[in-house]
Amino acid sequence: MLAYSLPSDISPSTFVNTASLVRIVALGLISAAAISSRLFAVVNFESIIHEFDPWFNYRATRVLASKGFYEFWNWFDPTAWYPLGRVVGGTIYPGLMATSGVIYNILHALNLPVDIRNICVLLAPGFSAFTAWATYMFTKEMKDESAGLLAAAFIGIVPGYISRSVAGSYDNEAIAIFLLMFTFYAWIKALKTGSALFGTIAALFYFYMVAAWGGYAFITNMIPLHAFVLLLMGRYTNRLYVAYCSWYAIGTLSSMQVPFVGFQPVRTSEHMAALGIFGLLQIVAFAQLIRSHVTSKQFQDLLFVSVISAAVLGMAAMVLLTYKGWIAPWTGRFYSLWDTGYAKKYIPIIASVSEHQPTAWPSFFMDLHMLTFLFPFGVLVLFRTLRDEHVFVIIYAVMGTYFAGVMVRLMLTLTPCVCVASAVGLSQLIDTFMDPREPDVGEEEEKEDGSSTTATPSKKAAKKEKNAAPVTGVGAIDDIVSTLSIAGGLEKDKSAKAKTGIFGLDTRMVVLFNTAAMLLFFVLHCTWVTSNAYSSPSVVLASSNPDGSQHIIDDFREAYYWLRMNTKEDAVVMSWWDYGYQIAGMADRVTLVDNNTWNNTHIATVGKAMSSPEEVAYPILRKHDVDYVLVIFGGLIGYSGDDINKFLWMVRIAQGVWPDEIQEPNYFTQQGEYRVDDQASKAMKDSLMYKMSYYRFAELFGGGQVVDRVRQQYLPKQGPTLDYLDEAFTSENWIVRIFQVKKEDLLGRDLKSANGFAQGKKRKRSKPPVKRRVLA
Amino acid sequence: MILLCRLALLVSLIAANLAWAAHSFENTAIVRTVELGGASVHVVTTYAVKALEPKSSVYTIALSPNEHEKTSWLEVRQKGQQVALSLQPVLLDTANNLYLYRAELPKQLAINETTNLIVETVQTHATYPWPEQAEQGDEQALKYETDLYVLSPYKTSVQRTKIRTLSPRIISYTTPEGIDFTTDNPVTKSGATITYGPYHNIPASSTLEFVQQHQKHITAHYNHDFPCAEIATLKRAAEISHWGANLNIQDEIVLHNAGPTLKGHFSRLQFQSQTFYNRPSPTILNWFTLHLPAGIRNVYYYDLIGNVSTSRLRTAPSVPKTLSGNPNQYSVMEVRPRYPLLGGWNYTFTLGWDAPLADSTSFDSKTGKYIVGVPVMTVIPDAVVDDAEVKIVLPEGATDVEFFPPFPAKNTTISTHVTYLDTVGRPAVTFHYERLTDKHSGIIYVTYKVPFSAHLRKPLAVAAGLIGVFVLSMGWRRVDMRLDTKQKL
Repeated sequence: MLAYSLPSDISPSTFVNTASLVRIVALGLISAAAISSRLFAVVNFESIIHEFDPWFNYRATRVLASKGFYEFWNWFDPTAWYPLGRVVGGTIYPGLMATSGVIYNILHALNLPVDIRNICVLLAPGFSAFTAWATYMFTKEMKDESAGLLAAAFIGIVPGYISRSVAGSYDNEAIAIFLLMFTFYAWIKALKTGSALFGTIAALFYFYMVAAWGGYAFITNMIPLHAFVLLLMGRYTNRLYVAYCSWYAIGTLSSMQVPFVGFQPVRTSEHMAALGIFGLLQIVAFAQLIRSHVTSKQFQDLLFVSVISAAVLGMAAMVLLTYKGWIAPWTGRFYSLWDTGYAKKYIPIIASVSEHQPTAWPSFFMDLHMLTFLFPFGVLVLFRTLRDEHVFVIIYAVMGTYFAGVMVRLMLTLTPCVCVASAVGLSQLIDTFMDPREPDVGEEEEKEDGSSTTATPSKKAAKKEKNAAPVTGVGAIDDIVSTLSIAGGLEKDKSAKAKTGIFGLDTRMVVLFNTAAMLLFFVLHCTWVTSNAYSSPSVVLASSNPDGSQHIIDDFREAYYWLRMNTKEDAVVMSWWDYGYQIAGMADRVTLVDNNTWNNTHIATVGKAMSSPEEVAYPILRKHDVDYVLVIFGGLIGYSGDDINKFLWMVRIAQGVWPDEIQEPNYFTQQGEYRVDDQASKAMKDSLMYKMSYYRFAELFGGGQVVDRVRQQYLPKQGPTLDYLDEAFTSENWIVRIFQVKKEDLLGRDLKSANGFAQGKKRKRSKPPVKRRVLA
Repeated sequence: MILLCRLALLVSLIAANLAWAAHSFENTAIVRTVELGGASVHVVTTYAVKALEPKSSVYTIALSPNEHEKTSWLEVRQKGQQVALSLQPVLLDTANNLYLYRAELPKQLAINETTNLIVETVQTHATYPWPEQAEQGDEQALKYETDLYVLSPYKTSVQRTKIRTLSPRIISYTTPEGIDFTTDNPVTKSGATITYGPYHNIPASSTLEFVQQHQKHITAHYNHDFPCAEIATLKRAAEISHWGANLNIQDEIVLHNAGPTLKGHFSRLQFQSQTFYNRPSPTILNWFTLHLPAGIRNVYYYDLIGNVSTSRLRTAPSVPKTLSGNPNQYSVMEVRPRYPLLGGWNYTFTLGWDAPLADSTSFDSKTGKYIVGVPVMTVIPDAVVDDAEVKIVLPEGATDVEFFPPFPAKNTTISTHVTYLDTVGRPAVTFHYERLTDKHSGIIYVTYKVPFSAHLRKPLAVAAGLIGVFVLSMGWRRVDMRLDTKQKL
């Protein structure tokens, strides 16, 4: 009984070829959609590097492209973290830069003089196409090709991934998600086939991943966890042993070649799980060997004793090594994954980054849309089959969901898993409702078929069966059901299943139409979110003119370019660390601190200078040879990401190092409010940051009411004055303000009284003037 | 090239002395008019000439070393004629420390026949800001220095020097003393013009003796209400594409405000109030207009860190060479740097555009050659280009390259430029110039041949590459790399 008729005169080879062509075309279109949806940033703005970290990666890539790999490898950057400098080659993950460098060299070898900036800008969209392909391959291993295509389409346009991979977002994540997915694919493939080749491929891509992103620790723990769970489920096979051992041995050795990682794989707690599972697998393999030689009873006893003792010994060794300092304990960033309040208490610098905050619920919907609820359904479907690889996705789903809930940033690692699980679920749904067979009513005996007992769930068999479906009446459902029964180890009554199914065309149409509508809304949502929320370079701001045309606010580049063109080449610019990479990249000047927040004390020094009164800050500035101080001020046009809004973090971080000199409560009013108007606290009003931000701001209003448009507060008409700094440059909309640090007074006075003298103010003489000493 | 010049110079020295020793002319009047500007100064000197000997045809103009050094452009015309007279190579008269320019008159003069010669020169970097530093709201004052007398190897009956400024606010000027050639006031000022002279009966002045005895140094100090833009380097690259029927021109410009350097600091508040009350400061270079060719498209304006979104452009429709259109049409671009340029500040940018190739190229079917015309530069009004490099990249495989610059370049090189999927590279001609002014807006003509096979080179190369890839992948698909062929995965 069929709900609708199918053509029966198609030869199997035509079917296979057509399906393959459709798949290739679909994958091509998915890649094109993935790339083009990431180009909103280029179309709306320009080909520009976005945000903060990408500016450093871009700068490093330029060094790599112009000076070669060895020079890059040994690059010591004296212009960062002045006066400390930074060993760049040893403190970065070079995978991203190396990738761009290779592409750059290949293109130039072909006489295609593409600018390195364009390669960097378009790297993330390009790799998103690869990610779609890797996800297709991965999901294909989970279910079948159609689920793979769905997963590829999802990952291609899902905002959760686009948010980190739009054109210009030249960050490690741009290539890392592809590497993540491909490593997982190779791992699953190795596990399924027991192939050392795929284990090695997984290891090589793991190495690439280690070279590219600090998030490699996720793979380092996911694969051992998967292996461990499989062991607990009693699913130890030789395939698992081969896959894991080849991956671990080659992967660990090669990952140690990355200088920034070095000996961490054998010395830090994050990597111990992988090592432990490696050891455990050896023991289990040995136990298997013994089992084949001794009787069952003896083996049970032996196993019990040895497992207990091995576990106790292993734990004791681990604790001892950690205690002795051979293994580094967990890092702060790791603790903050388990205790969300940890960072705020102990490491304010980590907590001050907005992407390290816990995820809010709306952002789940914004990033995943309908996948949010398809995801649990997909996991459920996986549970029903529960092959070895399905266990992997289930673990991934649990871990990924937890981490995504803890940190906004880790939404990114959850997204691929969501896409895979949702695709499996949705594909299952569509399979069920597309299946033309209708259940047999009252004819139980008819449904007896030889092919449904085929034990191999391999894709070839599945394809054959599907191909034969219209003729023999056996299709995907039976196939899946049979795999389920085999995987679950249950012998179910087959005739019972023939009773379930869908009657008629109308029910099918209702569900399929709904599904199509949902997919359509998903596409609309993704496009909308991408174009509106994730495609702003944040270096350039856009607003609209009264006539609706786009107005570009380009203050950052204006000020940075001014610095680059009109100050000494070795001028030292102090700013809050957020802008360090941008200053180095765009203004090409020496910075005190930057987004590589490796030295908390140095950052606290800057925080202290910013939050102290001028007299206290001045010696700090002079000691660090600071020539210019740069602040971001949004009060005039209402740019809310300015330094006054970040100011409390500066205070907190400074307080962490100098608790006697800087205290956070001093910056609040009596009522505990954070204010900048005339009720602001004295410490606030005296702070260098406040003074620089509002210097001469009141004069702009020509005697009228002075409004800070970010904080919606009215400022005193008499603005702050500066004695130790001079205003050097202010950008068009006052967003960037640069102040020059004055040199010491030539007559040895302090600058405040020198300034007062210049303005004709009389000094109050409380005591008789000191006679000038005769210079020896 | 330089060596040859030197040699010619030395050899001709003796001849030079002989040539002007013969007093073949007399100047009945010399009027020099100096139009003071910012970075460039236009000087027009009119010589009313009377021949003293028959068949006089070579007139000599003398410039002091100081003037010669400043002069970047010199042209001699007969009054009422458009065509410039041809000049013989410049000679250095070492004995009197003078540079001599000799102009050939189109027809020889009989005795007592008169003619008027107009010598037009443009001096660059002849003025300098004084005071050297100015605050943001201050006036901009410049100083110009020159010699009192126009030197000439011939006797002069009357000589005058007029110095004109754009605004009548002249702060000071030199009053020469001890003038032998006049009894009246040696200098008068009316409005925006300072007049030195008339001075009568000046003997042949191109001698060391005269310079030492009589020559005076005069200085004018005046207000200048326009910013002094200076282009330190200009790199123009013109790339011709026959396949795309496109001429791409790209200028890389280093801009400098040569006015008085900023004293103290830049105040955005003050700048914004100046803009608000429409009182632009003379020292601030906020924007300038460029006249780009008609019919251009894909105009881009960026600097080292990306696109500059502050400029405006009005394009005019294309004017193909073959049609009789209005040749004076041009696109207007209002260039605005990222930040206003105050005195002493620098800015670099790149400006480029695509233009239809037909607008600047024609094909000569007789010789089978293409002729392309590329302007030396886009004139920025009252700005001096200190160092210019114009590179014209011809299509790949172009042969028989000949070039005709409007005025001689400092040096010219031919190189090979390899770009977009080239196999052998494209011939490129590079011209180096120094100190270009708005008078130097000529067109460089380059002629070349492109054989048909050269047009096909690129498509064939790309096709061959792609076929190679396909063949390789075909082979790859058909080779079984498995070690154990019996095992099925």
